Amino acid sequence: MKTGHELIVENGQESIAAAAHNAGRHIQMNCAEFQRDLPLIIDTGGTEHQEAHLRTCAVCRDLVSDLRYIAEQAKLLIPMLEPSPKVWEGIEEKLKSEGLVKPVRARNT
Amino acid sequence: MPESEAIERAKSGDGQCFEALYTMHKRRVYSLCLRMTGNTAEAEDLTQEAFLQLYRKIATFRGESAFSTWLHRLAVNVVLMHLRKKGLPEVSLQETLEPAEEDGPKKDFGSQDQVLAGSIDRVNLERAIESLPPGYRIIFVLHDIEGYEHNEIAEMMGCSIGNSKSQLHKARMKLRDLLKITRAERAASKR
Repeated sequence: MKTGHELIVENGQESIAAAAHNAGRHIQMNCAEFQRDLPLIIDTGGTEHQEAHLRTCAVCRDLVSDLRYIAEQAKLLIPMLEPSPKVWEGIEEKLKSEGLVKPVRARNT
Repeated sequence: MPESEAIERAKSGDGQCFEALYTMHKRRVYSLCLRMTGNTAEAEDLTQEAFLQLYRKIATFRGESAFSTWLHRLAVNVVLMHLRKKGLPEVSLQETLEPAEEDGPKKDFGSQDQVLAGSIDRVNLERAIESLPPGYRIIFVLHDIEGYEHNEIAEMMGCSIGNSKSQLHKARMKLRDLLKITRAERAASKR
């Protein structure tokens, strides 16, 4: 059976973590390796190795927590603001001038 | 009056029913325009333009999707068209290909650097979104607020799916920084 090191040497594309996994060894992922896959981790969750890194790294754990929190809070933003009455007045005026619509009763939005 | 009835009557030129549709959907369309442009005057002009286009095109609405989805997509296209005319960068491919220094791994900033959970209110988040660079802001609004998928955003913006994902990630990272600065300023002002 080949060692993790041999796998890395044979295949330059293979990540250290994947090679270690294939060889049945555990090499701790560093922050740079972890954060390289951050968008995927935020959206779909991490692999076993990424989760292992999170358990030992407070910096990356806080980062993931913050990014997920921001995405969650954004989904809760509801349309609160109302356009000013002049927006409807402008629409009405334009439609009338183009003869597209019968005059409508004036009303403040 | 139910929305479906208002739509059918607006299709035949009924101004009052069109006004009813405007009243139902104005907040959502205006909020979208405002969040995408970050400018009140532009947002009002674009809201007006979106509803004018709605009036002209409503006869083509066949009910294959929800009316609000259809109207929303129309409004997004109005805003994107406006931004293209203005020549504002929507998504910078170069930025994606050449990662900035800020894209490097984040390091510990010390004990002051606590998680954001529980410390963001709606106003601060809205302000932070408003101060994002336009390219980041548009992708963030479309994906995280409006719920569009990356493939839909890529199609609307004429960029790759990877580019949309990359910009979204950068937008969230930038927002994190902005929100931490806001929190620190708030804490300092209380001292």
